[in-house]
Amino acid sequence: MTVEAEAAIHADPHHIPADADYLTYERGWKSWLTTVDHKRIGVMYLISILLAFFAGGVFALILRTELLTPGRTIMEADTYNEMFTLHGAIMVFLFIIPSIPAAIGNFVLPIMLGAKDVAFPKLNLASLYIYWVGAIFTLVAITQGHIDTGWTFYTPYSTRADNSAIWMTIGVFILGFSSILTGLNFIATVHTMRGPGMHWRRLPLFIWGTYATAVIQVLATPVLAITLALLAMEKIVGVGVFDPALGGDPVLFQHFFWFYSHPAVYIMILPGMAIVNEVIATFSRRKIFGYMFIAMSSVALALLGFLVWGHHMFVSGQSEYATMVFSALTFLVAIPSGVKIFNWLATLYQGSISLESPMLYSLAFIALFTIGGLTGLFLGTLSTDIHLHDTYFVVAHFHYVMVGGTVFGFLSGLHYWWPKITGRLYDERWARVAFSLVFIGFNVTFLSQFVLGSRGMPRRYYSYLDQFQPLHMTSSGGAYVLGVGFLVMAVMFAKSLKSGEKAGRNPWGSAGYEWQTSPRPHPHNFAEQPVFTRGPYDYHLASERELFTGTDAEWDTHVAKKAEA
Amino acid sequence: MNQSAQLPPQLSTFAPDVDWMYLFLFWVSVASFVAIVGVMVYFVFRYRRRPGVDAVPTGHGNTALEIAWTFLPLILLVFLFHEGFRVYVQESVAPQNTVDIHVRGMQWNWEFTHSNGVQEFNQAKIPVHTPVRMIMSSSDVLHSFYVPDFRIKRDVVPGMYSTLWFEATELSTPEHPVRVFCAEYCGAARGGTNGAEPNTNHSTMMADLHIIPQADYATFLREGGGPPAECTGAADDVSVCWGQHIYEQNGCRACHGVDGATQAPGPNWKGLFGHDVALEGGASVTADEAYIRQSILEPQAQIVHGFGNINMPPYHLRDQEIDAVIAYMRSLDQ
Ligand code: HEC
Ligand code: HEM
Ligand SMILES: [Cu+2]
Ligand SMILES: [Cu+2]
Repeated sequence: MTVEAEAAIHADPHHIPADADYLTYERGWKSWLTTVDHKRIGVMYLISILLAFFAGGVFALILRTELLTPGRTIMEADTYNEMFTLHGAIMVFLFIIPSIPAAIGNFVLPIMLGAKDVAFPKLNLASLYIYWVGAIFTLVAITQGHIDTGWTFYTPYSTRADNSAIWMTIGVFILGFSSILTGLNFIATVHTMRGPGMHWRRLPLFIWGTYATAVIQVLATPVLAITLALLAMEKIVGVGVFDPALGGDPVLFQHFFWFYSHPAVYIMILPGMAIVNEVIATFSRRKIFGYMFIAMSSVALALLGFLVWGHHMFVSGQSEYATMVFSALTFLVAIPSGVKIFNWLATLYQGSISLESPMLYSLAFIALFTIGGLTGLFLGTLSTDIHLHDTYFVVAHFHYVMVGGTVFGFLSGLHYWWPKITGRLYDERWARVAFSLVFIGFNVTFLSQFVLGSRGMPRRYYSYLDQFQPLHMTSSGGAYVLGVGFLVMAVMFAKSLKSGEKAGRNPWGSAGYEWQTSPRPHPHNFAEQPVFTRGPYDYHLASERELFTGTDAEWDTHVAKKAEA
Repeated sequence: MNQSAQLPPQLSTFAPDVDWMYLFLFWVSVASFVAIVGVMVYFVFRYRRRPGVDAVPTGHGNTALEIAWTFLPLILLVFLFHEGFRVYVQESVAPQNTVDIHVRGMQWNWEFTHSNGVQEFNQAKIPVHTPVRMIMSSSDVLHSFYVPDFRIKRDVVPGMYSTLWFEATELSTPEHPVRVFCAEYCGAARGGTNGAEPNTNHSTMMADLHIIPQADYATFLREGGGPPAECTGAADDVSVCWGQHIYEQNGCRACHGVDGATQAPGPNWKGLFGHDVALEGGASVTADEAYIRQSILEPQAQIVHGFGNINMPPYHLRDQEIDAVIAYMRSLDQ
């Protein structure tokens, strides 16, 4: 961006024509790499995480192919171990953690607040760069170092072989910084940049969810950084922290790791829930039932999330007393999760419900997250967890939460805000075909894994007993259907980009304020500073113009027709 | 509690309690899922968008309802916690009079040491209807001792002892032993081939528990472990047969070839005994009884040239067993 353009951005918005849009206002790759516009940064994040998701997905299909037969199908044991490490690490650190907050959150959060941008636009760009650096670092480390530790890096396995696990963890450390900076930025933005009339009790629930997420990111991620620093110190300087050969304690690493990674589970799921709130409200034409309870349940999840890390360690050798306390606290997490589900159901009651693709994904979220949550009870209950821990039951459980929950939430949001991001509509029929394939494929893949696990099939297994083959083949078959579903979705979105019908400003007829800007928002989000005179879900207070789903031209004809009549 | 198709056979005293809880949770989950999704689907149908019908504004919510669905589930949760914890306490506190067996996990084998000093590799005799306690440690990385049929699992940690106990309720047959799995990821050899072979990586780190009558176990403890039954009947040399048995059962096979050709992580045994061995550092030594013995008990003492990068774990074989291994090695050269 030129100096003049930079200056113009910060100058009076009226210097930018009111009909400008953020995608075309400036052009050329340089304008993208130097932009401080949160929407463009969000779009670049979106492209990056979709690439990561694609890579992680390819690895998933490779894993499932290997698991078609008990012995060797396409690769050797050590390669398989590297593949599941790549799959897990890419999906967790490169895709799912930044997915909703950094990509979708960046795009919609300031618009919803009626702000021009986030509180620290340059810092926002910096987090994107840091994400890129961390991503490259991690990928190079994994592929060069043949890292096969799993995404959990448990010691002493991770520190025995060579230093490659250290390089990898430094990559994750860098990614963590990106996460912290985005979190800080969002917190500051929510506190200081709310437009006139957007007081706390009117905040869209998407913002409440993202806000709670940001708080966890800022508080938990430093723990990951400390853990990784200790790991590096042990490896490089020989301070015995985790390796018993040096007088360290390998179980300590697990405490540190899960002290971050359990809260990180909420970094992953809260934003998914946040999207579901918006989508359910819009497609039921109704304010979310129990608004304050939903908002507070996010905060409760964020806080409780810090107290339950030990439930990953019931068989690790931590004290029986600790185990008891962690089991009890884990059950408490079920409460705010249940509260959300009940409130969503109550929102549907007496609504005016339509089932476009974003709503399908959100309703699927409710069903799948229910399964994820209920199977969590099996893992929180001590007697059953002893049997199920580190089996495919756990693999199925966390995929129900992370894919059935977060990924479905993300897809719901992507379909929902797609017209706002791209200014175009997509082919709803194909979107439904893709949804059906993804939904069926996902359930076939992972329902069978619950049975594998309860029947005693441990996880991270390259080879398995013959008796498990039918279920493994079912699971792999489901994964291929899932893969085809994503392919259909990719083609559907690509077609929309290329030749999709132009969207109106509010194609879903939502009362949310982000739908009041032009189809592709103005570089400053709103050509005129909006004043919030009602809540984002107050359908009965919204004007006909606000809820109109067509383009501006269509509105004019509509008005003209009315005048005639 | 009846056997369920979702769960492995119930072969320990814990299994019925764990399964009861599992199936209770299963049916509670099915009921909750059907209720939640049923209500959802009903609402979606009942309140589908129709022309001229608007949504009823939400109003101010319903605090009584919110409190009800916040606190009612607590009753179920407290029950789950309590029941789960009750069984967990039983699993954690071993009775006084247990039979103790030491277990050592190592990539990718299980070594069992009975109280009479007899060791078994990747298999162990276990007395039926007797509380048995496993005192476990690891010589390398984390492992986890998991017996699905017993519903028990415990991590095996280097530098620390962890224990676990169980009481087997049924005898096993030689064809259907009770299977031990490793449930904590412990890797695979880089560049290894045929990862489906037993005891070559995390996924094949298994052992067989042979559940035998109490009297048989008592006899075994008294008389110790001689050569296995299949060797005592063998027509040719009992020691060679026993040595081969050790080679196959104790995990040597994962690293050592015996045909003079196969490229394995460790040195080949054919043409070894009685010949000169080049060591790391340039020295050389004749592979006599003393050398073989030391190579097994303290592998790190003298390292064979070209094999410095992979560590053989020490094996605490008894003298008779080492003799049998040597007899087997010699038989390879005939
Ligand atoms: C993890 C792989 C591994 C396993 C399992 C293993 N070894 Fe070894 N073994 C090695 C390696 C590597 C060497 C060479 C390095 C050394 O001398 O320590 C070796 C060396 C030896 C030697 C000296 C051989 C020579 O050529 O000088 C003997 C004897 C031996 N092992 C016996 C055994 C026996 C008996 C077992 C089973 C009870 C066994 N090993 C299991 C890897 C293994
Ligand atoms: C899209 C279809 C997907 C399929 C078919 C799939 C399949 C698999 C398989 C086969 C494993 C190895 C299980 C084991 O042996 O432990 C695995 C592990 C894992 N997956 Fe997925 N996965 C998918 C999507 C995702 C997504 C979206 C995430 C995002 C969070 C994810 C996160 C993980 C994690 C964290 C692990 C554990 C890795 C480890 O054990 O180190 N997966 N997945
Ligand atoms: Cu957790
Ligand atoms: Cu193991």
